[in-house]
Amino acid sequence: MSGAALSRLPRPRFGGAERSARGDIGLAGRSVMALAVAAAFALILAPLGMLLTAAFRGPQDLLPFEDGAHWTLDNLAAVYLDANLYRAVIPNTLVFTAGSVALTFAVAFTLAWLVERTDLPLRDAVYTIVLFPLLVPGIVFSITWIFLLAPNTGWINVALRAVLGRGGEGPLDVFSMGGMILVQGLGLVPFVFLLLTAALRAMNPSFEEASSVSGASPLKTFLRVTLPVLRPGLLAPLILATLVTLEQFEIPLVIGVPARINVFSTRIFFELNPDTDLPAYGRAAAVALPFLAAGILLLIAYNALIRRADRFVTVTGKGFRPARFDLGRWRAPALVFVALYATFAALLPAVVLLWASLFGYANPGLAALSAASVAGYRGLLANAAFWLAIRNTFVVAAGSALVVTAIALVLAWIIQRSRMRGRAIVDLVSFLSLGVPTVIAGLAWMLLFLSAPIGIYGTVAALLLAYCYRMAVATRLTRAALIQIHVELEEASAVAGGAWLTTLRRVVLPLLRPSLVASFVLLFIVGFREFTLPMILHSPDNVVLSVMMWKAFQSGRTMEAAAIGTIIVLLAVPVIFAVRNVVLRRDNQG
Amino acid sequence: MARCMIAAAICAAALCLGAAAAQADWRETPAIRALYDKAKAEGEVVIWGPVQTEVDWIQGELAKRFPGITVKATGDLQAATKLIAEARANRHSVDLWQNSLGGMLEVQKRGLFAKVDWPSYGLDAGRLLFDGEGLAVHNFVYTTAYAKSFVTPAELPRTWNDLLDPKWKGRMVSEDFLFPRLMGFLALEWGEERTEKWGRAMLDAQKLLVVNSPRESFLKTGERVLAVGDSVNQTFQYSDNGVPTGYTVLDLVPAVQFTVAVMKDAPHPNAARLLAAWLATDEGLAVREKLVHGFSIRPGSTSALADDIRRAGAKVILEDLSTMAQRAAYYKKFSALARGQ
Repeated sequence: MSGAALSRLPRPRFGGAERSARGDIGLAGRSVMALAVAAAFALILAPLGMLLTAAFRGPQDLLPFEDGAHWTLDNLAAVYLDANLYRAVIPNTLVFTAGSVALTFAVAFTLAWLVERTDLPLRDAVYTIVLFPLLVPGIVFSITWIFLLAPNTGWINVALRAVLGRGGEGPLDVFSMGGMILVQGLGLVPFVFLLLTAALRAMNPSFEEASSVSGASPLKTFLRVTLPVLRPGLLAPLILATLVTLEQFEIPLVIGVPARINVFSTRIFFELNPDTDLPAYGRAAAVALPFLAAGILLLIAYNALIRRADRFVTVTGKGFRPARFDLGRWRAPALVFVALYATFAALLPAVVLLWASLFGYANPGLAALSAASVAGYRGLLANAAFWLAIRNTFVVAAGSALVVTAIALVLAWIIQRSRMRGRAIVDLVSFLSLGVPTVIAGLAWMLLFLSAPIGIYGTVAALLLAYCYRMAVATRLTRAALIQIHVELEEASAVAGGAWLTTLRRVVLPLLRPSLVASFVLLFIVGFREFTLPMILHSPDNVVLSVMMWKAFQSGRTMEAAAIGTIIVLLAVPVIFAVRNVVLRRDNQG
Repeated sequence: MARCMIAAAICAAALCLGAAAAQADWRETPAIRALYDKAKAEGEVVIWGPVQTEVDWIQGELAKRFPGITVKATGDLQAATKLIAEARANRHSVDLWQNSLGGMLEVQKRGLFAKVDWPSYGLDAGRLLFDGEGLAVHNFVYTTAYAKSFVTPAELPRTWNDLLDPKWKGRMVSEDFLFPRLMGFLALEWGEERTEKWGRAMLDAQKLLVVNSPRESFLKTGERVLAVGDSVNQTFQYSDNGVPTGYTVLDLVPAVQFTVAVMKDAPHPNAARLLAAWLATDEGLAVREKLVHGFSIRPGSTSALADDIRRAGAKVILEDLSTMAQRAAYYKKFSALARGQ
């Protein structure tokens, strides 16, 4: 059975006309759409414009907006005429990205499938555990792996040498391309897992059941039914994971720099932290341009691969309740797989974080227990700025996640369902937000807020707006989910007299709930731990936890930094758990 | 011997008492009293520094001496961009900025610092930088830090060249920002060719691990036992964090000059001048040394570290404007070497 056979229903689209099979858009609907598009363009084009402008402004000793700066190709020349780029940076980036994304997908898909499609025990707990690495600051995650795989004293190396009866260093070395891929690959699992669970949850299992009934083996069913049906839901995370890996710089810095392995993102970091002078925003922007190019190419590929969107429709007017595979004798291996992931990606980083918050860098052991100190926590609790930071963090993370998810819902509908002129541009612009390095976005927002006459500079509102530029993930996720929902459901609502907004609220929104929740949770977590944007835009009034943590870390106050990291986790985990439970409860009720 | 020690103790006590009296006198001078009155009326002062620790201690100490002025302190490594952007938008939120001399150049070049007649506030001309737009405060003093749990003082290197001893192979760590800068200073003394040869030997033969993460964890576990190019004040910080760490005084002592400058359009100009002036006084320097181990080793300094250096007969290479361009060229080149670019 192929995906093409799943549905051959006609695909009427909204045109410029007011009425369609899916109801009257009406003035209110048009206003909502216009508002969403305008907001998306305003939120994305400011950083995007800054990226494109900065790349062509020089000289390097002037900031792009300063008097005396002029249009130039010097930045491009400095970056792209450098032989090292072709000799090392590009090959390294390709190997690193391909390796990391492959590892991420293998682990994330397995975990997502186990959680959403099988009778794995403790699925809710597993869901939260899998997301855990997303909450742990990247630097802590990397340092955990240094503890494990450092060539001289890494715990795993020490154990291996004892087993192999050899001395010296190694045999494994985290400071290598393999180490980078391992740490980045595992670190990105929660991100892809979150996106995949939404797709798997929305998938109607009746196709797989039909395949099985027809005598197809599980492997054949997986290859010929599951994968084709999930294609949009797989492609979106694949593309997003690729772009996120390209942009991510924490692990390449901590693991790659000691190995003297340079990738695109470390190159950007070094341009922004130059040896002399001001940050080289122009060169950083020039280095980031391939991200945009990669984004455009990947979007074209994505659109080409899902052109016949009706092939991927899995949710129709016929209700379904996702059935779960009985793992049977595979239950134990599945649990071992989950336990291994949980140990290395969640438990060990958590222990390192908690340990550092109570014992600093003291070696683990009973002797250290007597030296436990809650000074890091006590100092925080007595600090008024800390409580302000908690409030600000929740407001900014939840507010921006809500705004972006809402806008993404409307954008995804426009892109996928309407015939609105220029929807391809909406698609492109929303997607390209992922190609803008955060620091460039921060610079753009800073300049905008400084020159705006509304006095928003240095406020919490400024942070909330700035965080909202990350539209790509939510739009892509929602669109992928929308593809899986048959248009007949909206048509039925229209036939029953429902206006567009009513249909959106009462039909589309409930069906998209898994994706929207995934989008919200993801953006909430990203917002909770984001530090680049608030570092650029911070003031004493809009301080957030991540900035406090980063400053404590930079200042050498390790215990305080770790205490804040622990508190971030403690505050965010219940939110994830609660949101997940609300979704499950509603779905079960449905 | 005992008599000598008693005499030395008496001298030190006398010096301290004298210094305390001198500082009290300084605060009572008409110029400072007048400045304080104006500063108190402003009620607040905003100071930015590179990292939070270096400015956090100021509020409590200023309040003891000049009550009624709230200090808002922020650590921000990208402050230069913000200061330039704010000035361009005619929004001014910062009163004074503390950073390395080199890190302030771009802002100073744009004319964003106020020129102040510091000698009229009783400050020695030897502390003036940028022709009166800045005041010298403490130094970032490069050293080779060592993990006390794994290295005994007897084993320690005495010169930078001693680090090429095979016994340190695979046992040293450095930071990708600091190591090329250290090499830039050494090149002023050794020349480019010798320094590059030394750097390559450190990286290739000695397997120096150049990281972009805290060195404390490497020293704690013994993964590496020497941290090359860390600063002396970081060794105290590491020890406070539970990693017993010491510092060495090698044959050459490179030192970055930290500076404080009042912004031209400071919202609280008098409070800014008062704070900047106090930070540059002997008392301000001594309090900083005591609280955050920010030592001054400028000529004539009486800090404990300056004494160590004098005793060791080491040569100080102090950051100054005359060698800035040369060093910049050096560490651009050495950065590429250290990062494998």
